Amino acid sequence: MLLVLSAEHRAHLGCLPRAGGAAVGELGRLALEQLRRGAAPRACETAARKLNIGVDTIQHGVEGLVYLLTESSKLMISEVDFQDSIHVLGFSDELNKSLLQLYLDNRKEIRSILGELAPRLPSYHSLEWRLDVQLASRSLRQQSKPAVTMKLHLNQNDDQTAQVLQTDPATLLHLIQQLEQALGEMKMNHCRRIVRNMK
Amino acid sequence: QRFRFCGDLDCPDWVLAEISTLAKISSVKLKLICAQVLRDLLGEAIEYDKILKLTSDAKLESGDVKATIAVLGFILSSAAKHNVDSESLSSELQQLGLPKAEHASGLCRSYEEKQSSLQDRLRACSLRLSQLGSVHWRVDYTLSSSELQEVNEPVVHLTFNVRDRECEKMTAVPVTLSANKFRVLLA
Repeated sequence: MLLVLSAEHRAHLGCLPRAGGAAVGELGRLALEQLRRGAAPRACETAARKLNIGVDTIQHGVEGLVYLLTESSKLMISEVDFQDSIHVLGFSDELNKSLLQLYLDNRKEIRSILGELAPRLPSYHSLEWRLDVQLASRSLRQQSKPAVTMKLHLNQNDDQTAQVLQTDPATLLHLIQQLEQALGEMKMNHCRRIVRNMK
Repeated sequence: QRFRFCGDLDCPDWVLAEISTLAKISSVKLKLICAQVLRDLLGEAIEYDKILKLTSDAKLESGDVKATIAVLGFILSSAAKHNVDSESLSSELQQLGLPKAEHASGLCRSYEEKQSSLQDRLRACSLRLSQLGSVHWRVDYTLSSSELQEVNEPVVHLTFNVRDRECEKMTAVPVTLSANKFRVLLA
């Protein structure tokens, strides 16, 4: 599967051969830092001063590299395909080899970073529970009404929310039974066939 | 096999697996690590560096250190939760394979010292939705109003300060009642 690079992308990456071998290493490092931690304009300025190239060119070069690496890692393209895709840029063999090395060394890490960007539903964090028995109320004395109060803590994108739920033991047992039935579905033939095929 | 400190249930597999890690640490160091874990359970800050120093002799990896802290935390809090006395805890830990002479008895002695404070702390941490902080009141006497020239009625203002467990914030709930309603409330 080949990557199609737009004209603008090619223009941004066009600064690489002019910059030279060492600069490519530096830009690669900046690109990875940007993927890990987000844009760092100061680092780009320092690199621009060191390599004697304009800040904008450095910025575009880094962004071009970031996009190239994320697209290649996202599609998990093979070495041959990567080489064919950048061949169209017309770089020297040395440059192509260093770009390929950069891609192969870091694609696992980039894939794990990309994996965390997917939208998430609130996920389970913890559950506190409490068993109470209501003995009397203003309207009725001498009762015996058990109730289970639960606080469900959920995590969503580093946000913690809590949901308070209350039920009587009979409903709770029914809930548990329904959840166990749902788990039991995993052991049915249909699910087993699908899981086997996915592996 | 049922264990009292697990609430009369089977001991979880991971606890069984980590008992052998505990046996690798010398008993003196184990008692010091126990003291740190108890500090964490009682809500004070845990000093992870000290624990790392203590476990460095036994050449435990970082995963093993965390497992040790987890298993000690589980044993101590579970024993406090089910109100197990220290002799039963000691015999059950020996059944699980913790060497008696120093390890189990050292652990149980630390547990016994802090058992009641642990239980108090666990009781305080139990689920509570909200808590009444304080009540302020004021009684006014209405002389007259735009509706009626002579009112002459007492009015009670109450403010309930409710503390929300989650955000540690006090919310004020103001209530105003006429004298009759207030009597109904008190009745």
